Amino acid sequence: MRPAQAIHNWQADHKGDHGGQEEKPQYISAFKALSGYVKPHRWALAGVMACTVVAILSELLQPYLMKIAIDDNLLAGKNDFRGLLLICAVYLGLSVSSFIFAYLQNNLLQQVGQSIVARIRKQLFGHIMKQSMGYFDRMSSGSLITHVSSDTEALNQFFSQVLLSLFRDGLTILFILVLMFQLDTTLALYCLVLLPVIFLIAIAFRSFMRATYQLARTRLSRMVAFVAENLSGMGLVQAFHQQKEQQRQFDERNGLYFRANLREIRTNVLFGRTFDILSNLAIALVTWIGGMAVLGKQLEFGVLYAFITYIRQFFQPINTITQQWNTLQSATVAISRIWTIFGTEPEITDKTEETPRSAERSVTRKQMTLTTERSQGVSEEAHSFGSVRGEIDFEHISFSYEEGIPIIQGLDLHIEPGEMIGVVGTTGAGKSSLISLLCRFYDVKEGSIRIDGTDVRDIPQATLHRLIGLVQQEPYLYSGSIVDNVRMFDDSISREDVIRACEFVGADGIIRKLPDGYNTLLSERGSGLSAGERQLISFARIIVFKPKVLILDEASANLDSQTEQLIQNALNVVSKQRTTIVIAHRLSTIMQADRIIVMSHGEIVEQGSHQELIELGGQYRELYEHSQGQQAG
Amino acid sequence: MKSQRILADFFRRSWPVYVLSITFHLVSNMINVFYPKVLGAFTDKLAGGELTRGLVVDYSLQLLAIGIASVVFSGIAMYLVMYVGRTFERGVRGLLFRHFTRMGERFYAKNGVGKLLSYFMNDVTAVRESIAMGINQTANATMLLLSAMTMMIISGIPLYLIGACVFPLLLIPFIVVYLGPIIRQRSLHVQEALGKMTETAEEQFGGIRVTKKFAVEPIMNRRFGQTVDDIRAAQLRLVRVSSFFQALVPFLGTIALIIALAFGGYLTIAGRLSLGNFVALTLYVRMLMTPLQQIGNVINSIQRSRASLERLNGLLSQSPDIVESDAATEADLSDCAIEIDHLTFAYSPSSEPVLKDVSVRIEPGATLGIIGRTGSGKTTLMKLLLRIYDPPPGTIRFGGEDVRELTLESLRGQIGYVPQDGFLFSTTIRENIAFSDRTAVMGSIEDAARQAQIHANIDELPERFETKLGERGLTLSGGQRQRTSLARGLIKRASVMILDDSVSAVDAVTEKDIIDSIRRERHNKTTIIIAHRISAIKHADEIIVLDDGEIVQRGTHRELLEQPGLYADLHAIQEEGSLHATGTSDS
Repeated sequence: MRPAQAIHNWQADHKGDHGGQEEKPQYISAFKALSGYVKPHRWALAGVMACTVVAILSELLQPYLMKIAIDDNLLAGKNDFRGLLLICAVYLGLSVSSFIFAYLQNNLLQQVGQSIVARIRKQLFGHIMKQSMGYFDRMSSGSLITHVSSDTEALNQFFSQVLLSLFRDGLTILFILVLMFQLDTTLALYCLVLLPVIFLIAIAFRSFMRATYQLARTRLSRMVAFVAENLSGMGLVQAFHQQKEQQRQFDERNGLYFRANLREIRTNVLFGRTFDILSNLAIALVTWIGGMAVLGKQLEFGVLYAFITYIRQFFQPINTITQQWNTLQSATVAISRIWTIFGTEPEITDKTEETPRSAERSVTRKQMTLTTERSQGVSEEAHSFGSVRGEIDFEHISFSYEEGIPIIQGLDLHIEPGEMIGVVGTTGAGKSSLISLLCRFYDVKEGSIRIDGTDVRDIPQATLHRLIGLVQQEPYLYSGSIVDNVRMFDDSISREDVIRACEFVGADGIIRKLPDGYNTLLSERGSGLSAGERQLISFARIIVFKPKVLILDEASANLDSQTEQLIQNALNVVSKQRTTIVIAHRLSTIMQADRIIVMSHGEIVEQGSHQELIELGGQYRELYEHSQGQQAG
Repeated sequence: MKSQRILADFFRRSWPVYVLSITFHLVSNMINVFYPKVLGAFTDKLAGGELTRGLVVDYSLQLLAIGIASVVFSGIAMYLVMYVGRTFERGVRGLLFRHFTRMGERFYAKNGVGKLLSYFMNDVTAVRESIAMGINQTANATMLLLSAMTMMIISGIPLYLIGACVFPLLLIPFIVVYLGPIIRQRSLHVQEALGKMTETAEEQFGGIRVTKKFAVEPIMNRRFGQTVDDIRAAQLRLVRVSSFFQALVPFLGTIALIIALAFGGYLTIAGRLSLGNFVALTLYVRMLMTPLQQIGNVINSIQRSRASLERLNGLLSQSPDIVESDAATEADLSDCAIEIDHLTFAYSPSSEPVLKDVSVRIEPGATLGIIGRTGSGKTTLMKLLLRIYDPPPGTIRFGGEDVRELTLESLRGQIGYVPQDGFLFSTTIRENIAFSDRTAVMGSIEDAARQAQIHANIDELPERFETKLGERGLTLSGGQRQRTSLARGLIKRASVMILDDSVSAVDAVTEKDIIDSIRRERHNKTTIIIAHRISAIKHADEIIVLDDGEIVQRGTHRELLEQPGLYADLHAIQEEGSLHATGTSDS
């Protein structure tokens, strides 16, 4: 197991501890759900089945052929070497065909399985991406990742292991039984009695083994997490001279893992050996019962030989099939989890029919046509919302995430096109909620938000989202080149446009200094660039996508003075000719705003220019003086 | 440090277990090979018409006894080897961890956590597998091969017949050795592709707000779809080889059987081989298939683990940068001056010095403030004081004693250090604060928390000081982490305290409270404060301004303000900034 994997498992296990752990596998509903995906491949699967039959034939018929050789040739004393050669030839033919068909079967089955899994993976991802923001706020991104990677991987294992084993081993067991009955009914019946016993023992052991395996896995992950953390913090451990204590804690975890391992080994050895003993017991039994029958001439010796071989062959597929039991269980749980997600509809949806209200408005009509274009490609909407002026009306809106805990109550706000608004207020005053509502990440409970007079609920989300640009406190960068990060991987935006945008916001110089310039690959969270530089890239995005309304969640991190200057300039550039809303964490950025809004408990308590608010002597002035006082103290 | 030979050391201690285990394997297989022989004898008696009821019972019981005895012996043999394998694993991991605790920053800078973890996990596991599973399977296979051959020869099966039948089986190990690495390579590709998909999903869900805001979901779906297709392609590539392999091995087995059937059958008909021996031969051929395949696996795993073993030995033979001198003395820092005397320091002989001719004297009980840009050498200076790196001899002295002549325990034990990043462990808040002394009483923990202005925040948590932090627990904000880390440094009530930009992420109001409480607590105790913001150091008895490794200005706050220079410039910028200081509070 790789370290990262081990830590991940540990976290996943731990998360499981809290919530509804031990989901009961719901076999029927899970496979009903899956059957829709399997149906298009039913002919391929029939082919797999046919291949399997041919593939296992040589292994199955070998004892039978031996029996014929022994009984009809060797024991009959006919000295018929030609007959023996014929048997050998048949056997050779069978084994060549089984070699070929085993190969085909495996490839075909994987072909089918992989196609299904790939389709489900893509659909699942697309479905999750379609959800509204509320969904992402509720679900931890960790659990979503688990669904997309681990759950679909469990599904993959279902196809590549469980199904394969069900086909091959299931058919093998079945055919062995048939052949046994063919050879001798009485002896076959005796063997049949053994079957349920073997299965029961195997399954009982398997679930026990699963528990010990889980224990070892959890302890391993715990140990690895401990080591990982101590490696990162080793400087601290040494500075505090705590090496001995940390070593002691490590030894404790190491010892726990060791003991869990021993338990696992004991269980494994015990199980394996019990199974072997059972198999040997069965052989002794067959020899005894069969031997007696041979003695009484009810049975030919060749039949007995075949039985003994079949009994040996019998145990192996049973062993493999029971091995799949755990995989089957986890795959079933995974399927039902995946289908739960498929069953979740986005809370916020576009209006399908054109409402009369929106039809009146030219803007909306234009946007509606944009939606139809969208279906052909994202990029085609040409990023121009020419006629949109960017006038925003919050009309008596109320909002709450949970019933009874209102976040915003009856708020009214009118923003002129091109106006720059600064929003201040303490944490929890409702600043971010206001923004989420404008972006329609959530829907208002009462009232309405209108852009150029059109209710945001009547604008297709894709259009609305392009209309409003958002620069977050923590700019998010994707792994890819700088060019792609600026144009959001949209190839229809030219490299020149990207460079021009970067020049505009003053990022060009910085980017050109990087080893690969605009082709520099950024990784997740944009390592390699400082916080300020990442922020500049997110400004360049705004220039490229030309939204009519810009929302800026101002970074509160301590940037060095030079970068801060760069950002301030960039902000001035991007806010030009746009309606701009700045959520301020420092007053310096918004002092020049056309209007400052002071929010408290979901209401606007003061508004006006900096000068007006200072003169008013209310909350804003208090905030201002507080910051002044700090400097004095 | 002596050259590390972890495997040799291990075998020197555990060879009796191995001898015992191999003996058991031998016994088990010697018993096991009787099984075809008994069936063969049974056949001969039957063919000769000498079979009686009593003999049938005898043979059945013999088979049962063989079955049980061989299984029991092989079970014990396997357990023994796996057991010592795990003790090896535990021992080596213990060694590694101890080694990690001794290595200095240079080592970590060079290796990185991911690489070290891979030594710790993958390499140790690889070696353990080849000495546990590998030895088990090799021992089992060779013993079986030997005993089966012997048995066949004893039974009077002609050697040429045995040779002809076993020959195809002998190809199996070669095939495994050839195809094994290819399969492994391809399955690694699958793993990588899976990892890539997970990464992409992680990135997409993390940046969902941005993706949605730019309405580029279809593009992102396409990007994700690409990674899914890559997995599928890698998986199918793997299947092409692995299924070929899986079909080939049993095929060789059947070829061996066909030879046994044709050739053996011919000899039987010709009367040169008894029917019993013929039956036994076919059973032996079947018996040998699995062990031969395992030998191939073992060869592959040994090849992989040899590289791992070399890596581990190499890692363990590196010696730590910082070694206590043999004549190291216990330091007493409670009332001693710290002298830094013409200190010039570079991280490696070839690189530019990070500190150039730095001289400072800190009187007992004084407070020193250090200010300067990022990369000016402030943190390096602190690391030298703590002897995380070795300064040139005689350049750093505590009470006249060279820092290199002091025991590390006494030096670091008496310095309270608060690093910049506020690194906390994933354990309870209490244990994090009481890191230097895990037995510290609750009262002193609470005091330290109060001084660091974090007590009120902790009080609001449901489990207060017992709240778990980190991956499985609560995530603190940057400012809260710094304050917790500060409490961890303060609780030591050390003779010397070093604050390395420890309040950079807290807001201005809290910063002032913290500085005030530090001034109270550290009154008359030596304190060194590094800061970006002037407000955190202006009360110091002496302030030095570092720029590019050199002291460019020194003096008190007042003195420095009066002279033109970096300090006055910084002051001007920061005053202007704090004019508009934060309107919202941190956390």
